[in-house]
Amino acid sequence: MQNILRVKYLLALTLLPTLLLYTFIVIVPIIWSSYYGFFKWSGMNEPSFIGWSNYMEVVNDPIFWRALKNNLIIVAASVFGQVPIALILALMLRKTSLFQKFVRSAVFLPMVISTVVVGLIWGYIYNPEFGIVNAFLETVGLETWTRAWLSDRSVNMYAVAIPIIWNYIGPYLIIFIAAIQNVPNEIEDAAKIDGANGLKKLIYVTLPMMWTTIKVAVVLCISGSLKAFDQVFVMTGGGPAQSTELLATYMYNNTFVIYRYGFGSAISTMIVIVSLVLILFSQVIMKRKDEGGIGI
Amino acid sequence: MKKTIFLIGILLLLLLAACGDDQNEQANGDSDNSDGSDNGEEKTTISFWHNFAGDDLRARTIRDRIDQFNEDNPNITVEAEAIPVDGYRQRISTVAAAQELPDVFFTYSGSFTDQFYEGNLIQPITPLIDENPDWADSFLSSALDIYEYGDEEDIYSVPVAMSSTSYLFYNKELFEENNVQVPETWDELMDAIDVFNEQGITPLAMGNQAPWVAQSTTFGAIADRVTGTDWFMDAVEQNGAFFTDPVFIDALGYFKELVDANAYQEGANSIDNTQAEQYFAQGKAAMMINGSWTISSLASSSSEEVLENIGVALVPSIPEGEGRENTITGGPGGGFVLNKNAEGDVKEAGLELIYYLSNDEAQKEIAESNSMVMYDVDIDEDKVSPLYYNAFNLVRGAEFAPVYDLYLSAAAGEAINNGLQEIMLGGDLEPVAENLQQAQAQSVEEDDDE
Repeated sequence: MQNILRVKYLLALTLLPTLLLYTFIVIVPIIWSSYYGFFKWSGMNEPSFIGWSNYMEVVNDPIFWRALKNNLIIVAASVFGQVPIALILALMLRKTSLFQKFVRSAVFLPMVISTVVVGLIWGYIYNPEFGIVNAFLETVGLETWTRAWLSDRSVNMYAVAIPIIWNYIGPYLIIFIAAIQNVPNEIEDAAKIDGANGLKKLIYVTLPMMWTTIKVAVVLCISGSLKAFDQVFVMTGGGPAQSTELLATYMYNNTFVIYRYGFGSAISTMIVIVSLVLILFSQVIMKRKDEGGIGI
Repeated sequence: MKKTIFLIGILLLLLLAACGDDQNEQANGDSDNSDGSDNGEEKTTISFWHNFAGDDLRARTIRDRIDQFNEDNPNITVEAEAIPVDGYRQRISTVAAAQELPDVFFTYSGSFTDQFYEGNLIQPITPLIDENPDWADSFLSSALDIYEYGDEEDIYSVPVAMSSTSYLFYNKELFEENNVQVPETWDELMDAIDVFNEQGITPLAMGNQAPWVAQSTTFGAIADRVTGTDWFMDAVEQNGAFFTDPVFIDALGYFKELVDANAYQEGANSIDNTQAEQYFAQGKAAMMINGSWTISSLASSSSEEVLENIGVALVPSIPEGEGRENTITGGPGGGFVLNKNAEGDVKEAGLELIYYLSNDEAQKEIAESNSMVMYDVDIDEDKVSPLYYNAFNLVRGAEFAPVYDLYLSAAAGEAINNGLQEIMLGGDLEPVAENLQQAQAQSVEEDDDE
């Protein structure tokens, strides 16, 4: 008993520096920023207190809801794009032949490139004049499909989602490969002896053993795509006519382009709230799945 | 192990020795200087900040002139500091807040200078104006008004630059081949657009990804022709004129007419201004409405052949509109101002420096570095690019109209920028006008509160 207590104190003591640091660089700024949300402040003059009106304005602004909807498209594209593709690739690439190593590096490569460069590259790919997407469609005789991918409002949200998926498959691939390699050989052998092969082994052995990793990946994916900013900012800046506005670009434009620091702070507080709700929601859903039988 | 420590020790010693040497040299240098000035007459030292730090022709011209001034005036030492353009506003604002502004500094026209006047940080340069009436008269129309403050109508600076944001550039060859005259009225412009569209040539190039482009280059000029300048100034103040007025909807309607006539290439909202300039320079578009920056960027990126094929004109007039016909959006650019605290010799020297950097000769040199000035000067055609030469002569004969986002509040500027993109995507006019009106009304209200 004495021992356990002592370990507890030691744990608390060793965690303290990190905890303090975390509080100062994450928790305090969040509270600070939600506090600024109650002020009218241009960044230069004295802030003046205006109560809840910034928050009310955010909630009543149709652009905020559009930004939220666009952000959910990015979240959906990431969760249903990045995670499954990374999973499939991981299952295919778990051996270490030269070819597989090459494919792995190729998939991971975009992760190493600066996101601004990713935005620029895809901006050129989609370019209505000399972009390769339109050039390709013309060569294969699909002229009617060519369009201005980034300014046509019916497609541009999906067009900006693709580079984001492409950009972040790499890290999930690495995480999943590690998880697969962590599945103990004994279990695989036992499954083999029981007659589980191919698909069956995948569904009843490999995937359940990876389930916690997948859950972590999904949470990372949701929080990551709620923060999505750089690629979209470079490709469209949230335009044209705010049609690709995300929560983060909406916040940026209001704060740093039109100098409404208080309003921008209110938006960032809303982003924190939305993120927490979404992550909670995803946790609840995946917990159900656990009980439903697929889990361990 | 011992060896490593020994080596590190040696290295440290060497470093220390090197530092010591430096200090010694500096000390020597300082004493030399003080000896020198003891022998000569008393020197006036003035501090001077400007943003001509780049490697472009104009920045080099100004820096050369500063050096020349130091040489010509042995009893004055100008301690010039060149601060890169990007950080200049912040640096100046910071030292202004700390009451540590240099004796003479560069300022931007408009609200930036207003702040210094309102903060009582600068003084008029009236002596220069009184001593050199010819010089003061040589500035183009209304160039000095922007630096005129107070009941006494004192002049606080003179512009050494000009901004002009709406030229109609056209491809001479395409116009000749298709037998089209350079449009002078709106109807002629619309006819030209139809002709080029029939030939499969983009009539107007535009790169509106950063959404200020359509507003600054095209819409401002159209709107001024339709509504007139006075209406716009009243609407900015929300003084009996509002952006929901029918006349402004009309102005938006003219812009929509361009969009509906397919004047712009597909995806104009997803390419940037530089790409649009290249698109035009490659002869894929017959015309382009763009600002004076286009002249220098085309000059640096295109062959002489291409440049000679580009003509420049004013945006076509709209006879049905309320506004003037012969206008270009833009106005006086930045100039040099004198610190309020400059007195006696420092003031004299400061005024002399300001004059030296903006007098007849300086304006001519700046103009000949392919950069627009607000000054009536004949430039040597051989020294500048032909496109610049034509544009400069064009603007000398034109009147200025306000650039929208220089007068609107930041939020209202964003509203009209996004609104024009909305119109280019097929949106309605009224919501655009309403958003703009709401944003401008809100900021006027907030200003009144303060």
